[in-house]
Amino acid sequence: MINLLSRTIMMGTPLLFGALAEVIAERTGMMVTAIEGIFLMGAWAGFVGGYLSGSLIVGFLSAMLAGLLVAGLYGWICIYLKQHQVVTGVAINLLVAGLCSFLYRVIFGVPITPLTVSPLATIPIPLLSEIPLLGPILFNQTILTYIIYFLAPLSYFMLYKTSMGLTIRSAGENPEAVDVAGINVLTVRFLTVLLAGVMGGVAGAFYSIGFLGMFTTNIIGGRGWIAFAICFLGNWNPKGAVIGTLAFGFAEAIAIYMQSIGNSALFPNELFIALPYIMTIVLTISRKSFNVPAKLGVPYLKEN
Amino acid sequence: MATAFFELRGISKYFAKVIANQDVSFSIQRGEVLALLGENGAGKSTIMKILYGLYKADEGKLLKDGREIKIDSPKEAMELGISMIQQHFSLVPAHTVTDNIILGNVHGIIDHKLFREEIKRLAELYGFELNPDDFIRDLAVGVQQKVEILKALYQKTNLLIMDEPTAVLTPQEAENLMGFVRDFTAQGNSVIFITHKLKEVMSVADRIIVMRAGRVFGDIKRAETNELELSKLMIGRDLNWVTKEDRQESIDQEVRLEIQQVTLQEKTGVPALKDISLTLHKGEILGIAGVSGNGQQELCEIVCGAILPTKGKILLDGEDITERKIRARIDLGIGYVPADRSSDGMIMDMSIAENMLLKSSYAKKWQKRGFIDKQKLNQYTWQEIQDYSIKAPSPETIARGLSGGNQQKVVLAREVDNGEKVIVFDQPTRGLDLGAVNHVHQVILQERAKGKSVLLVSTELAEIFALSDRIAILYKGEIQGVFNSAELTTEKIGLLMAGFREREVKSDAG
Ligand SMILES: Nc1ncnc2c1ncn2[C@@H]1O[C@H](COP(=O)(O)OP(=O)(O)O)[C@@H](O)[C@H]1O
Ligand SMILES: [Mg+2]
Repeated sequence: MINLLSRTIMMGTPLLFGALAEVIAERTGMMVTAIEGIFLMGAWAGFVGGYLSGSLIVGFLSAMLAGLLVAGLYGWICIYLKQHQVVTGVAINLLVAGLCSFLYRVIFGVPITPLTVSPLATIPIPLLSEIPLLGPILFNQTILTYIIYFLAPLSYFMLYKTSMGLTIRSAGENPEAVDVAGINVLTVRFLTVLLAGVMGGVAGAFYSIGFLGMFTTNIIGGRGWIAFAICFLGNWNPKGAVIGTLAFGFAEAIAIYMQSIGNSALFPNELFIALPYIMTIVLTISRKSFNVPAKLGVPYLKEN
Repeated sequence: MATAFFELRGISKYFAKVIANQDVSFSIQRGEVLALLGENGAGKSTIMKILYGLYKADEGKLLKDGREIKIDSPKEAMELGISMIQQHFSLVPAHTVTDNIILGNVHGIIDHKLFREEIKRLAELYGFELNPDDFIRDLAVGVQQKVEILKALYQKTNLLIMDEPTAVLTPQEAENLMGFVRDFTAQGNSVIFITHKLKEVMSVADRIIVMRAGRVFGDIKRAETNELELSKLMIGRDLNWVTKEDRQESIDQEVRLEIQQVTLQEKTGVPALKDISLTLHKGEILGIAGVSGNGQQELCEIVCGAILPTKGKILLDGEDITERKIRARIDLGIGYVPADRSSDGMIMDMSIAENMLLKSSYAKKWQKRGFIDKQKLNQYTWQEIQDYSIKAPSPETIARGLSGGNQQKVVLAREVDNGEKVIVFDQPTRGLDLGAVNHVHQVILQERAKGKSVLLVSTELAEIFALSDRIAILYKGEIQGVFNSAELTTEKIGLLMAGFREREVKSDAG
């Protein structure tokens, strides 16, 4: 059981990276529908950077840069060229999927056995990890999890207690108000999308070099979309995103657990693999109150 | 003469092919109330947005205290002491009063308590009743405007620009606003007051700039002019105004439409309409007065069938039509000119002819072997274009390309034909220039003369008074009273619009 909960936290980490990124960007009115592509590009760049340099740090930095570039492309098309956010995102996701498998082959050919790196090690925190029950669950994780422990409350504080947060939230509710207050709406939106790209890149790299130690083209398998779903199930609020992430992390942990014990007599294994996706659908349709930013998905047009 | 506080010199501004401002020059002194008067589309908002840094001028320059300045963003305007309250408020409905006021004026971590106190003090100083913790979405428009003003005061404004500030206010609220303007300028500050209402100009302005078609046509001291001269400058010609004499003496007593104790419950639980009973006779114009957002749109939609009432009945010529849907009601002869023509009245990217067909596309008369009878439709549309003098080269012209007035005429032409018995007009002249307003008024009177019944919703009291045979006042979804229009004065109707009951109004007056 402890193992399962520890897994929940671990598998929840990248989801929360993605969901927080999505929350911040969507609060300005930008649905980052390219999140799946950002994850995948992050996973790819993380692996390539990590494998070629032999350093996971370089891997994560490459992932951040890759996420930034994909997000930059998405932001430029949607914010400055005013194109439709869903259409653009889907197109970019398809583009990235093709690009990643192509570039992987260009660089590595078609290896007989999959190339691997040794993934992020868990770092038990002295003293804290020895607390019974909670210790091994919360404090025997990788560095990414510890970072997210800070990022989650930090993003909440930023959104609700700082002028930057007020600007971000206002931009998604009524961009004219932001404009009239002398702040450039497009810049605000673009910067948050870039931030989402960096965070999404890290999240993607978690799957390749933080956990599996290898890259496959279907490594993300819709988890970007799950982060996307967590954002709105969590009511565009970092707190809600944390709760949503725990639910999905748990579902994923169960799926991995059932896979590992291989007890497919009772339940087909596929059911558990499908669990997070089924949960997305069920939670989405059972949600009642929405706190959706009023101008979510609407480009800001202003002639001058 | 002292150097002007601010001066605009030879400003021109083009939007693609539209000339919004051409060679506009005027100045404003310290302590002065300057009125910017002009019809819709005259370029008033544009010239002020240039001064506020929202738009960039294509030609011309700006001066402060005689020195040339550049204003490239609202931030820079604010630093120079300029604030502008937009025609459509730019507040965030989901945020509190405090959050709205400090947006763009704070840095780093927000000390909410400090700001709340500061705003409370400022509000008290100016005698505004405001709770800094209220959410904007819960406030009446009049109060929202106070938030906008407070926001400007918070930024230590010396020049306050207000774009059509009284459009959303009751006459009493407007009077309070004028009071504020006088106090504020008495302290040495300046106000630019954009409006198209002559009365306001005469009551508050020191000097008047009249604009027409993007240019300045007059720069006159209030004491040296009158309403007649101003209206001629503003319109550029004389108009044949609908006056009280056009009212008919006797109303047909035959009942056409009856609304019986209709209540409409919103999802949130508060009724949008509460126990409404109205009778509309043949050949009668019933005006519905009220500040916008008090249930007018719901009332119109109940009549045309877009929404069904929670309780109550609607009768047309004695027949119960409460359960009939929109399509059935169109067939019964109820026409509806909605307030927002661009979203509810027409499809902008379709042609005039297609828009004509919009509400009767299924009708046999437009069909030929299952296809649309293009020829017949175009013929019909062309006739309407002539009859309503719509400025369009052909029935195939796309609606988006027409001016607001001509778009409204398209909707009008269609609905007048649909409404064989009853026509509902919701704010039929909003945003139109005076020529088009006049045309719409003439059409309404013509239809009444044909014996049709008209429900006229408007927030412009002048319009209500000029056209209506009887007037009902709507406040928070309730009818405050129904009057023959001769019985009402502006003052009385203002009190009713503000929520006072008939009894109270009478005892107040007595
Ligand atoms: N952002 C814009 N894009 C294109 N045309 C505009 C824009 N703003 C205003 N216009 C046009 O410029 C003219 C002047 O508009 P405006 O300044 O809003 O007039 P007013 O405030 O006097 O009603 C109108 O013809 C209007 O259609
Ligand atoms: Mg205007």
